[in-house]
Amino acid sequence: MTVAAELRSQLARHLGQALPVLGAVAVGFAVCGLIALWVGLKPGLMFVELIKGAVEGPQLFETVARAVPLVGMTLAAAIPLRAGIVNLGADGQLALGGCAAAIVALYLPAPDIVRLVAALAAGMAVGAAYAALAAAGEIYAGVPLLLSTWLLTYPAKGLCGFLVRTSLRDPSTAWPSTARIAVGARLGSLIPGSPVNRGFLLVAVVAIAVIFIDRRSSIGFELKLRGLNERFARYGGVDLHRQTLGVMLASGAIAGLIGAIMVLGSQFRYTDGALTAPQYSWSGTLAALLAGGEPVGSVVAAVLFAALQTGGFAMERSVEIPRVLTMVLQSVVILFLAMRGAIWKRP
Amino acid sequence: MTFAFFNATFFDQAVLGITPILLAALAGTLSERVGLFNIALEGEMLVGAFAAIAGSHFGGSLQAGVLAAVVAGALFSGLLAVGSALLRGNDIVIGISLNLLAAGLTSFLLRTLFGVSGTFSDSAMQGLPRLTVPGVASLPLVGSALGHQNVLVYLSWALVAVIAGFLNRTPWGLRLRGIGEQPDAAVALGADATRYRFIVTLVGGALCGLAGLQLSLGSLTLFSENMTAGRGWIAVAAVMLGRARPLYVAAACVLFGLSDALGLRLQGEGLPNQITDSAPYVVTLAALVIAGLRRRRLAGALA
Amino acid sequence: MAYLEMIDIVKRYPGVLANDHIELCVERGEIHAVMGENGAGKSTLMSILYGLQSPDEGYIRFKGSTLLLQSPLDAIAHGIGMVHQAFKLFESLSVWENVVYRREPRRGIFIDGARARAQVEELARRHGLPIDPTARVANLPVGVRQRLEILKALYRDAQILILDEPTAVLTPAEVVTLFAVMKSLAAAGCTILLVTHKLNEVMAVSDRITVLRNGRVAERLVTAHTNPTEIVRAMTGQQTGPLRAKQPREPGAILLETQGLVVEQHGRRVVDDVSLEVRGGEIVGIAGVAGNGQSELIEALMGLTPVAFGVVRIAGRDLTRGSVAEHRAGGLSYIAEDRARTASAATASAADNLAMGFHRAPPLARNGLLRPAAMREWARSLIERFDIKVASTETAVGTLSGGNLQKIVTARELAHNAPVLIAEQPTRGVDVGAIAFIHGELLKERERGRGILLVSAELSELLELADRILVMYEGRIVAEFARAAADEATLGLYMAGGRRA
Repeated sequence: MTVAAELRSQLARHLGQALPVLGAVAVGFAVCGLIALWVGLKPGLMFVELIKGAVEGPQLFETVARAVPLVGMTLAAAIPLRAGIVNLGADGQLALGGCAAAIVALYLPAPDIVRLVAALAAGMAVGAAYAALAAAGEIYAGVPLLLSTWLLTYPAKGLCGFLVRTSLRDPSTAWPSTARIAVGARLGSLIPGSPVNRGFLLVAVVAIAVIFIDRRSSIGFELKLRGLNERFARYGGVDLHRQTLGVMLASGAIAGLIGAIMVLGSQFRYTDGALTAPQYSWSGTLAALLAGGEPVGSVVAAVLFAALQTGGFAMERSVEIPRVLTMVLQSVVILFLAMRGAIWKRP
Repeated sequence: MTFAFFNATFFDQAVLGITPILLAALAGTLSERVGLFNIALEGEMLVGAFAAIAGSHFGGSLQAGVLAAVVAGALFSGLLAVGSALLRGNDIVIGISLNLLAAGLTSFLLRTLFGVSGTFSDSAMQGLPRLTVPGVASLPLVGSALGHQNVLVYLSWALVAVIAGFLNRTPWGLRLRGIGEQPDAAVALGADATRYRFIVTLVGGALCGLAGLQLSLGSLTLFSENMTAGRGWIAVAAVMLGRARPLYVAAACVLFGLSDALGLRLQGEGLPNQITDSAPYVVTLAALVIAGLRRRRLAGALA
Repeated sequence: MAYLEMIDIVKRYPGVLANDHIELCVERGEIHAVMGENGAGKSTLMSILYGLQSPDEGYIRFKGSTLLLQSPLDAIAHGIGMVHQAFKLFESLSVWENVVYRREPRRGIFIDGARARAQVEELARRHGLPIDPTARVANLPVGVRQRLEILKALYRDAQILILDEPTAVLTPAEVVTLFAVMKSLAAAGCTILLVTHKLNEVMAVSDRITVLRNGRVAERLVTAHTNPTEIVRAMTGQQTGPLRAKQPREPGAILLETQGLVVEQHGRRVVDDVSLEVRGGEIVGIAGVAGNGQSELIEALMGLTPVAFGVVRIAGRDLTRGSVAEHRAGGLSYIAEDRARTASAATASAADNLAMGFHRAPPLARNGLLRPAAMREWARSLIERFDIKVASTETAVGTLSGGNLQKIVTARELAHNAPVLIAEQPTRGVDVGAIAFIHGELLKERERGRGILLVSAELSELLELADRILVMYEGRIVAEFARAAADEATLGLYMAGGRRA
């Protein structure tokens, strides 16, 4: 047994994981092409506009700007998924985080920069706490996280919607939303003239941290092994409940952070439904599923999905093909992989 | 306030609200008993709702709509059948991606086939006809709710009994239960597990198609994007609460239907709709927590 | 021409020839034993006979006609029934539902429950297998469940009954009952194929024996004309050696002890007032039929199951309410019974599997961070020391053979150098060579002063390795023997609840 043999095994394993994904993507494109033909659209044109719309000129910055929240939400989904847990409540944690960040940024009596930092922290804290609620349901009452996280999104969004229509309401706006956040408390632009703001740096740091912890730390090791065989992890001394709580706190914190970044970096106010409208949580969940919760693969998938969605918007503008088709594409890819058993085969 | 609070409209809305959840939950019950975890109920319902409107619009009749809903639901669930029953892929991943596929596909087709986004409604379209049950319809308070509903509502109640009887009294029901409980044992005795799982999934898809039909053609005739609004997930919770036993699952659905109507009623009393909209979800969660705590206490220890 | 013949059967799996031109001849109404060690090919052969698999070459002839079996359904239709080692029953259903499954008497489109119950009762009475048709399987003891399995086959008019290691889960008293049933079935014309590796059973009840070794027929014997020594020689190709000589040792300090341990599940005491101790330098064996509380006792000792009453002390420290991590840190390591589902992760690499439990401390980690090179080196050294056949440290362990996987688990747990090792069925389903290796390792650890708690269903294993043997029955320790004072018969008596201590 030599180093060469080890490298060969590793390469075989990685290839074995990558090839089905490429195949699935090809199938996804084919299916969407067929659907487009069926409703009388031109698939070739569609794909050209899609790709141009993702990377041509200023569109590239659009893609990057979209990648920021998307990578974030993907990581929020991937961390629990690594341990075999599905967090479907990212939307609720996102909304609560953004709302909390807005409240702090608007009303905390403190200098600008302090407000900004406190708002970001508040977003993370609230998101984490709300996710912990679902974790408590699983730990103490055995309510599956898959269900509890999903169910909890509704009261969360409802509460934010309620607040923003009553005590937080800025009467001068048409949509239910808060007042504008002062310039000093915002996340400034990173690349002038582009929609990319400093939130990019925050998400980059988070991504690097997640990847590092997953690959190189004992905690990451335990997470990975639990995802592969929960009984084995328990037998080996891993405290499952503590781990569940830990991943949910991390997941909620990241979702809340993204909410805060969206509010402080691009929207500059909390508007009802504006954080969840782009459906980053769902795309994030799909990207994480595609990679089986593995962080590097998840980030790559997220960036690709961001390109896909930006391209989709441009495609809709230029050739009037509804951009929801990109959602169809994403789902088909995952579906195909799942059906082939290439995704997340749990023992 | 109490008597006027629970008025006829309340019960009417409750019964209407229960029906799609009940149909989907019955689909989920069958899946669960055959050993599959079906969380694609939401997507199947949405596809059914859209197909009902599309079928009715392009086919020109209510019957076309009904047929379209059932067929579309079954076909869409065919993806789940192939992926889960046949190829044994991961239930949860397939379910989630099917739900998203349904949302994307129906929104896409709404725009390309009907040329609108958001909602399509056609008041000239024929909805499901209402039946009147003599005697029951004249009862106070619940008369309209129980005695004057559309066909699908009564069908859903009948299906509870039919499915319960099927599972517990017929040979195929016994075989199905065996497959769900211990597939090795069932296969060893010659049961075709794959066939049962496949058929159950398709039947479930048809049931969800009917659930969607109830949503889009049951009272108002319209389709709006994502109109299932999480009912499929509530159906999943109902199956869990009712432990996949048709009668208990139906009871869980009644609970949710009542809380849904309660939410609407409270809205009528002036409570903000953001809060009242959450009512069924909060009630579902509370019920799951209570049931879970009870089970823990009976089993004796915290693992 | 014989009643049942399997002619020139060949079955290949990747890397191994499981059945190598096997010929089996069975007469009508006889009890025919098919013997061999683990991996000899008996299970494969029987699964072919039962239609679970198709042979690559060869065929089956029954009552003069060739059978083409594509599934157990075909086998059942031709009158071949099988009782598996792991019962295939529906726990939540009743006895009669299990028996008539897929052959339900009907009334219209409904099942005729009354007729089904009557038929089951009649069948049970006729064959001397008393059973309550309405009982839920979940509530039945193991011996009765086996009766149910036999009834299932008889209900389907089985003329040939294959029993696969039927006594593995029975008490000695239940085994006697089973033999009586077998003899009466044979007398009534049923032909029985007894698949086993146990000599005493074969000698007690069989008429003829076909011994398999390494996929081939080693010997065909007539029971009345042979003896255990000859059979063992045919199975292993060697003489039975003398029992491994052991150095008598003065046991050291108490490393693991329990006092009055009680574990409750579903309102029952599954571990009932157990007090035991394990000292350094001794192997304490626990004998008992599966399901008498051994698993629950071990889980309680490891911190996997909560303890209702009593004390667990590891190296003097009271760790009764501790977590698994605390128990391990306190000095326990544990070779779990279910190596595939509990003691390993199939899709993880050998390196990852070997690192589990060591991943928080040096040398494999420092300050919470892993050291990949150290992990690989660790894995390599263990693989070499235990002679584990694996392509590389990155190979997924799910592809390994049972014996090699067991070696991985054993290697990891031994590498902890924990003062106490708990070994649960450490050689189940493992090939002869690996068994010898693992036994050797256990004895070496004993020499080094480690305390070992050995739970095994193989009395021969316990008698060979243990210094003291405890017997568990219905959650209690009912007897304790020093090695010299124990023998299979006495142990068996207490295992069946014979004489309470």
